[in-house]
Amino acid sequence: MSKVLKYTLMLLVIFFISETLFAQDEEDFEDEDGVEELTRQVNNFKPGLSRFLMRGYAHAGIEFLQDRTTFVGGSFNPIFLWQQSERLLFESELEIELTEEGTELGLDYADMSYFLNDYITVRLGKFLLPFGTFGERLHPRWINRLPSNPLGFSHDGQVGPISDIGVEVRGALNISHHAWMNYSLYVVNGPRLNSGEVEAEEGGQLHYVNYLDNNKSKTFGGRIGILPLHDNSLEIGFSGQYGKVGIADTKYEDVGSQLYAIDLSYVTRLDFMKSMLDVKGQWNSVRVDDISYPDPEDALQNYTFENISNAYYGQISSKPAFINNSFFNKLEFVGRYSKLELPSQAVWGGEDTQITIGINYWLDWRTVIKFAYQTLDSNGEDDGHSALAQGDAFLLHWSIGF
Amino acid sequence: MKSKKYIINTLLGMFFATTLFIVGCSSTQDVALAKSGAQLWGENCVRCHNAPSPTAFSDIQWETIGQHMRIRANLTAQQTDKVVEFLKMAN
Ligand code: HEC
Repeated sequence: MSKVLKYTLMLLVIFFISETLFAQDEEDFEDEDGVEELTRQVNNFKPGLSRFLMRGYAHAGIEFLQDRTTFVGGSFNPIFLWQQSERLLFESELEIELTEEGTELGLDYADMSYFLNDYITVRLGKFLLPFGTFGERLHPRWINRLPSNPLGFSHDGQVGPISDIGVEVRGALNISHHAWMNYSLYVVNGPRLNSGEVEAEEGGQLHYVNYLDNNKSKTFGGRIGILPLHDNSLEIGFSGQYGKVGIADTKYEDVGSQLYAIDLSYVTRLDFMKSMLDVKGQWNSVRVDDISYPDPEDALQNYTFENISNAYYGQISSKPAFINNSFFNKLEFVGRYSKLELPSQAVWGGEDTQITIGINYWLDWRTVIKFAYQTLDSNGEDDGHSALAQGDAFLLHWSIGF
Repeated sequence: MKSKKYIINTLLGMFFATTLFIVGCSSTQDVALAKSGAQLWGENCVRCHNAPSPTAFSDIQWETIGQHMRIRANLTAQQTDKVVEFLKMAN
């Protein structure tokens, strides 16, 4: 009897086991179907290796100047990024700006970067030059801590290049236990010398827009940045750029230029103030070889001068980002001293000193409202030597990065 | 002529400095390379602008932005990969 019971029980167990296994198989089968379908659907949306991303920034504001109050800006800079593969990126930035003449469209940069290996990247095209850091890293409106640029660091009254067309090699290296170095070497068209033959009062000035080079020689330059501290908070950079700037087949053909820049950046957390501290600075010096230019006061005469220009600024800003108050931790306090020195004997020479203090309110990490008060000292003259320097002013700008 | 001398001097100077640094770095790389993606993000992505919020972009967008910033900030491939991996995890 017990044998019969044993066999019956065994049969029952086998039946149940096979039943469950069979059911599971069926479910598995259904699951597999679902997974296949899902995989197919996901694959439909799988991005290829070419990626496209559009970013950029915009700004607008109101400025209370000595002789007028005006809304300004409404400028919009779209940035286009085409990632062609893991090694190739094309980047381009347009600048669409409202000026007195109407809407202006500019091409800030358009270049291709090829990542040769971990430490070397090659760039071709029109790129922002690593001559110091303001032009390449700090000028975008949502990055610049103040609504204005330092004297000599914008397209008007510019001392030192911002962008150019050519070839560049750049990269970074680990140089000790905790220090890093980055480097960049480039060959570009270089600036163009205004010989003063057409605009006598501009003789001796360098123009940084030289998209079809005016001579055969090329301009060489580079920058080395050192980050000596373990937390990468400090960077000191040294830049140089050399090249002939005169028009071929004229007496200016062999006139050379030597440009130097030193830059500094220190960004750290100040625990005792529950704040972020940001110090930035740059000094640009531009020297053009001695030569004579038409005298603007007497068309038959020539005149000459020591053609050295300097522009420098120092800026300090602090944001109490770590205090427990949701209004105050979005504020930022900024101060900047900026100076422009143009050759004193040139008709376009002179000195401007500008002090700007500002308060910013950050809506998020890339959206800011900036309020600043700016003073200008132009050696007793009414207007500054750079077109943007216009006496004391209140500036209120808002900018957004995308 | 003068400018040629300057060019040669600068190029030589830079070449010399670079060689020196490459030689100097070969033995001591490990410590600096041991930093995590989050640490690299906290230290490096605040040097020019405010630290970007990881949630601002999707994984795929971060990959392209990573390449863009690798050029802008002169980062190595390793540093960039680590920061991008961190941003993709934290978004
Ligand atoms: C050396 C300065 C610098 C450093 C360091 C830096 N950035 Fe940027 N970043 C910029 C500049 C400049 C822009 C504006 C875009 C331009 O000029 O092309 C920018 C733009 C961006 C943008 C907006 C989208 C875009 O690609 O334009 C994001 C997001 C961003 N950075 C993230 C980062 C991250 C993440 C890091 C850390 C790995 C970082 N940045 C480090 C300079 C820097």
